[in-house]
Amino acid sequence: MSLRLVTNLSSVRCAILLLVLVVSFSACTDENQTDNQPDLSIRFEVPAGFPPPVYGFQNNPLTQEGFELGRALFYDPILSRDSTISCGSCHQQFVAFAHSEHRFSHGIDDLIGNRNSPGLFNLAWHPEFMWDGGVNHLEVQPLAPITNPIEMDETIQQVNLKLQRSATYPNRFLKAFGTDSITTQLVMRAMTQFMGAMVSADSRYDRYRSGMVSFDDSENRGLQLFRSHCENCHSEPLLSDFTYRNNGLSTQFNADPGRVSITQLPGDSGKFKVPSLRNVVLTPPYMHDGRFNDLEAVLNHYSQGILQSSTLDTTLPAGGMQLSTQEKADIIAFLSTLTDNTFIRDRRFSEAP
Amino acid sequence: MMKKILPVLALITMTLVGCKDDEPGTPRTSGSVLVDLTNVVGSVNLDETGATWYTNASGESFSVTRLKYYLSNFELIRNDEVKYKLENGYFLVDESNQASTVLELPDVPAGQYDKIRFLIGVDSARNVSGAQTGALDPANGMFWTWSTGYIFYKLEGKSPASANVDSTFNYHIAGFRESNNTNSLRWVELSFNGSTLTVDGDREAEVHIFADHLRFFDGPPNQMTITGNYNVMTPGPRAQEFADNYAQLFRFDHLHNSAH
Repeated sequence: MSLRLVTNLSSVRCAILLLVLVVSFSACTDENQTDNQPDLSIRFEVPAGFPPPVYGFQNNPLTQEGFELGRALFYDPILSRDSTISCGSCHQQFVAFAHSEHRFSHGIDDLIGNRNSPGLFNLAWHPEFMWDGGVNHLEVQPLAPITNPIEMDETIQQVNLKLQRSATYPNRFLKAFGTDSITTQLVMRAMTQFMGAMVSADSRYDRYRSGMVSFDDSENRGLQLFRSHCENCHSEPLLSDFTYRNNGLSTQFNADPGRVSITQLPGDSGKFKVPSLRNVVLTPPYMHDGRFNDLEAVLNHYSQGILQSSTLDTTLPAGGMQLSTQEKADIIAFLSTLTDNTFIRDRRFSEAP
Repeated sequence: MMKKILPVLALITMTLVGCKDDEPGTPRTSGSVLVDLTNVVGSVNLDETGATWYTNASGESFSVTRLKYYLSNFELIRNDEVKYKLENGYFLVDESNQASTVLELPDVPAGQYDKIRFLIGVDSARNVSGAQTGALDPANGMFWTWSTGYIFYKLEGKSPASANVDSTFNYHIAGFRESNNTNSLRWVELSFNGSTLTVDGDREAEVHIFADHLRFFDGPPNQMTITGNYNVMTPGPRAQEFADNYAQLFRFDHLHNSAH
């Protein structure tokens, strides 16, 4: 008995050693090999140092079939009225699921939106969604762009009907949820499995936090400046506290009143959700209206461009942060460590994995 | 001999028990209560085809093309004590689907009741719980996608008092947040006017309620005009005034409670 156990243990060790060897070899040769079969199985794990997620999949257990169905829906223009726009149209993986080079995205019939398309990652930690926080749950988030007349302009009934009539979807729902009777709830839960599993936590900043790499001098200075000037709203490790704030972009907010349109509280006028700064280098332009094309312009705003209004965030210094050229360069050096190349290349999140 | 008698005895016992169970006057532990709703405008049944013209207290004529509303959180009360509370029971009353105007309250404990209480709308807990199904399926057209939440009461129609190009009016009354008068949830409590509803699982138990939608405009408490208020589709003070009115739409009419 004990002999057998020893044998088993040693074979486990052999297997582990073999695995390590295989991984090491493939790491060396992976670059140009496309016939290699990477592990595309999906898991949801809370990264070290992250708080517990808001969305924990308790009522919607994450499965490979559900996740892949959600991914198919995310990239399928069938969700739009005339099958021209998918979620992936305005949320592109190579820019952390923001919309590359678009201040505003164009929806159906080339209609132009009025807010900048945000990156999508770590959504399971967001208590609310959209720039004004109007959507209160990840499972109902996709309904907003689907039904928005300038985005996908489709009705929920019609989405369900088109999916039910399709040649492939009923069988995929059967495999994922045990029924081929397609309902809004199942469509949303599949999409939530995909969106909620999109975790980005492998940037240089994350490796620095876990002690795997060290920062150079500029990055270190940038981190310290960040912690004294930005951390109050862009809290680590998610790089947002998910509150709504007026950061002094304007003195009046008729063009887009922001959070007040959801809460009807006058004190919320001109407030927008604090975005996560993870992957921020990848996601220009910046702000809810995409007014700044690069991070220099953003830092110039916080340094000297803050405009006074009654709802201006009280933690912002009235005269601006008065950052030197060197300080701005250091902050940008730090912000560059927030790019997660593993995430933007993760084939599990790609249209064609 | 015993072997033959035993099954016969068992059969007789079962039959007797079966009989006893169906015997009138022997209470079961629970039964269903039906809530039968009749939607009216003033003294006439509501016509959702748009063909009938009504006049509100402000002298504005209007017709109705759509009426849908949510009722939930039903309670049955005896001597001011809540004896029955229906959790997870959400009903979408849709005038275009008459089956939806009869609501079944299941598993009501046998007993007597003298009041009914319910919520107009979908409670705040359910409004923040993600994608729902059944009566709460967002595909039912009673869900705001841009500011998550269910529309509690939807009344659409036409009126010359509306300044919309097609003379339509659109009332989508909702809002579950406590902030700044945006909570449009309203409780309704109706006494059975001295009658008692008996539930014993055997007799029919039906509560007939009338909902007079003229009160949506006329109140009390608020006399609302269509002029200047022909589109109310966001939570806020105007929605509150209408919500205070819809809290007064319902009146108890009669019980059906005879033994079968």
